Amino acid sequence: MAKVKDTSISSRIFDVMIWLVMAFMLIICVVPFVYMIALSLSSAKAIINGKVSFWPVELNLEAYSKIFTYPNFFRAYGNTIFYTVVGTAIALVMTILFAYPLSKSYLKGHGFFTKVVIFSMYFSGGLIPNYLLISSIGLTGTRWAIILPFAISQFNLIILINFFKALPTEIEEAALIDGIGYFGILPRIILPLSTAAIATIGLYYAVFFWNDWFNGLIYLNTPQYPVMLFLRNIVNGTMVVGNASSASADTAMLGISTKSAVIITSTLPIIILYPFLQKYFVKGLTVGSVKG
Amino acid sequence: MKKASIIVLVLLGTVAMLFAQAAKEQAVSEVPVEFSMYYSDNATLPFKDSWLTVQETAKIANATVHYEAIPIADYSTKVSLALNTQTNAPDVILYQTTAGENQSLALNGAIVPISDYSEWTPNFNAMVEKYNMQSDINKIRLGDGKYYYLPSLTDVPFYDGGIILRQDYLEKKGLAAPKTYDDLYKILKAYKADNPTSYPLTILAGPRVLYRMTMPAFGVSLGRNGSGGSRVLSWDYEKLEFFEGAISEEFKAYISFFAKLYKEGLLDPEMAEPIDGGTWSRKMATGASMATWAYYDQIGGVTAASEIEGFKLQMYPALEGPAGAHHQQKNRLGSGIMFPTKTTKRSDFEQIVRAVDKMFFSEECSKIWCIGVKGVTYTEENGKIKYSDEIMNASEGIYKYMQLAYGCGSDVTQMVWVNAREMTKYDENYAAINAAVEAIGDVIQYIPPTPKFDDLKAEEAGMLLTPLADKFEVWCDAFLTGKKSIDKDWDTYVKEMKSIGIEKFCTLYNANL
Repeated sequence: MAKVKDTSISSRIFDVMIWLVMAFMLIICVVPFVYMIALSLSSAKAIINGKVSFWPVELNLEAYSKIFTYPNFFRAYGNTIFYTVVGTAIALVMTILFAYPLSKSYLKGHGFFTKVVIFSMYFSGGLIPNYLLISSIGLTGTRWAIILPFAISQFNLIILINFFKALPTEIEEAALIDGIGYFGILPRIILPLSTAAIATIGLYYAVFFWNDWFNGLIYLNTPQYPVMLFLRNIVNGTMVVGNASSASADTAMLGISTKSAVIITSTLPIIILYPFLQKYFVKGLTVGSVKG
Repeated sequence: MKKASIIVLVLLGTVAMLFAQAAKEQAVSEVPVEFSMYYSDNATLPFKDSWLTVQETAKIANATVHYEAIPIADYSTKVSLALNTQTNAPDVILYQTTAGENQSLALNGAIVPISDYSEWTPNFNAMVEKYNMQSDINKIRLGDGKYYYLPSLTDVPFYDGGIILRQDYLEKKGLAAPKTYDDLYKILKAYKADNPTSYPLTILAGPRVLYRMTMPAFGVSLGRNGSGGSRVLSWDYEKLEFFEGAISEEFKAYISFFAKLYKEGLLDPEMAEPIDGGTWSRKMATGASMATWAYYDQIGGVTAASEIEGFKLQMYPALEGPAGAHHQQKNRLGSGIMFPTKTTKRSDFEQIVRAVDKMFFSEECSKIWCIGVKGVTYTEENGKIKYSDEIMNASEGIYKYMQLAYGCGSDVTQMVWVNAREMTKYDENYAAINAAVEAIGDVIQYIPPTPKFDDLKAEEAGMLLTPLADKFEVWCDAFLTGKKSIDKDWDTYVKEMKSIGIEKFCTLYNANL
């Protein structure tokens, strides 16, 4: 059936308005990146003299080649890829395993565990008790310290519980009648129907693990640091100018082009993920929100 | 005869004991020791295990050191966690003092009172004696009379940052180098007249840099970077006691001067937000500003990059204000080395302390941390240090190149700063400025003493400090930007500061000196 196209003037004006608003939003989102890329590819002299706007001036790759001289950058980059891939995989498995039983309100203890989840969402032990707990189970100083304790996010868990609840129970009953046991229903029936929700929370987890620097800082040792900690040091660390008790003149600044190059290199991979998961993203969020 | 035999026996015994002690010390330093150490890592000087300084000093101390390079922005968080929990803490922590939280941690037993083990730090003791710093050391003793870290030692603090101006502009207009704040005002006014869209005076980072470098000339030192950490009190160098600097006439004169600059468009309004290094460089290089307070080694890059013909930046000695020509206060002691209590549980604790003492405070190693290894980075001719051609010709300058290539001259690891030795790493211009500053005399005053609070007093002071510091920041900003009138609102401000206890706070400080 052909689509009915509204060609009235008011409708066209409305379309134009929408396009303008969207174009404006797009510019707001894209401009900082374009500017960063232009800075990272321009010469220091051009930047200091205020010549760079949205196009590289005196094009060069010096900033990127300088990153190679940082002893820990690529190790940190490798660490972050590990935390993101392994962390997201573990987090998805754990969240799915927890969300599925919690989506069955007839199960014993359902109410209790749901309350525990909600409670821990609003109240946490605080930094030092958490640190002591993670230390006492021997995780501090190991890569698992920033993967296992964050394997289940309450927010993602609730999204998935609602999604599972929205699936028709008849499908599961049919599967039972057809001879698939309880342990077969989740991987063979539920998960294939839940790709949108899983992709969505997978993206949330991936972004969390990619961006996390604080947990890395407190639980890990230098060789295990993620790249975001490195990035933070490059961007923020150099703002600590001229310590009041400083004896030396060690207050030199890092070039803007180098900062920009580090920002681009460390954020681009996770940004690239979005377009590929976009089709699941909206669907995953909205499907879980309506039950019935 | 019997008496003589006894004397001989006693003498022999004493000599034997001395030999035994010496042999023990020798044995202790010969046994290799392995320990971990927190290092505050700055992105402008990224730490490298392979640095010549790191390798050589470890070799001399016969130690295997596992450096944990922690980003400087988060260093205090990591150290605080390590000291509070003692789990996963390193054996040694660099770049620490007992100010703030560490004071209470020290008094509660989380940090080793290193003064109790002074026989294990012979090199540190020798340096303290050599530079006559015993009275300085006494200033870092806490309420229990002990000191908890081995501070870095500076024989004569030097003028590494200050007022920087466009020398080419002064020459072009036939203006003399400024000596006072009034001279500076006239220069800024002239530049504004020539360049109406400019803000002649800008600063690097936030207002705290401006405040800490300029307030001493007006007789106060306040705010987040105010020396002494009291934020709202200042030190009276004649009476040797604290006074309520934030509500004093001295501060009123200070803020009136800068409010005038602000009102007349002579002071960069963006200074309220941190101005990062790039923005600051751009403002200076393009002529949007012509004066600033910053550090000497930062001006080279701007001069090289500017496209203004004849552009030249120069640092000048501290300007004279109502209280004289003074710059940011400095101590002869700086951040230093601390041992978490956990380390005492190690059977080789003595070896660790001795190795650390040797690595950072021995003549040999302290020289390495400053100028590298003889024959590699420098040679000595008639007692004069001559750096290798590679260092002399480095585009970043001697100081920065030696930092990046060898790890020399880092605040974190260099514990002994000898002014004359430092000057060999700078150009003649810098040495001349320092000589001019020294000729003025007493430009860099000492940082006021830290009160020796016990736990309860420290908490009481902390509770008074937070609202006082917050209120001061708000009013200071309002006075500067003209949101509040200094003439009309000053009394209200003083009344408010008094109502939240500035006088009580001051009494508390003075009672615990």
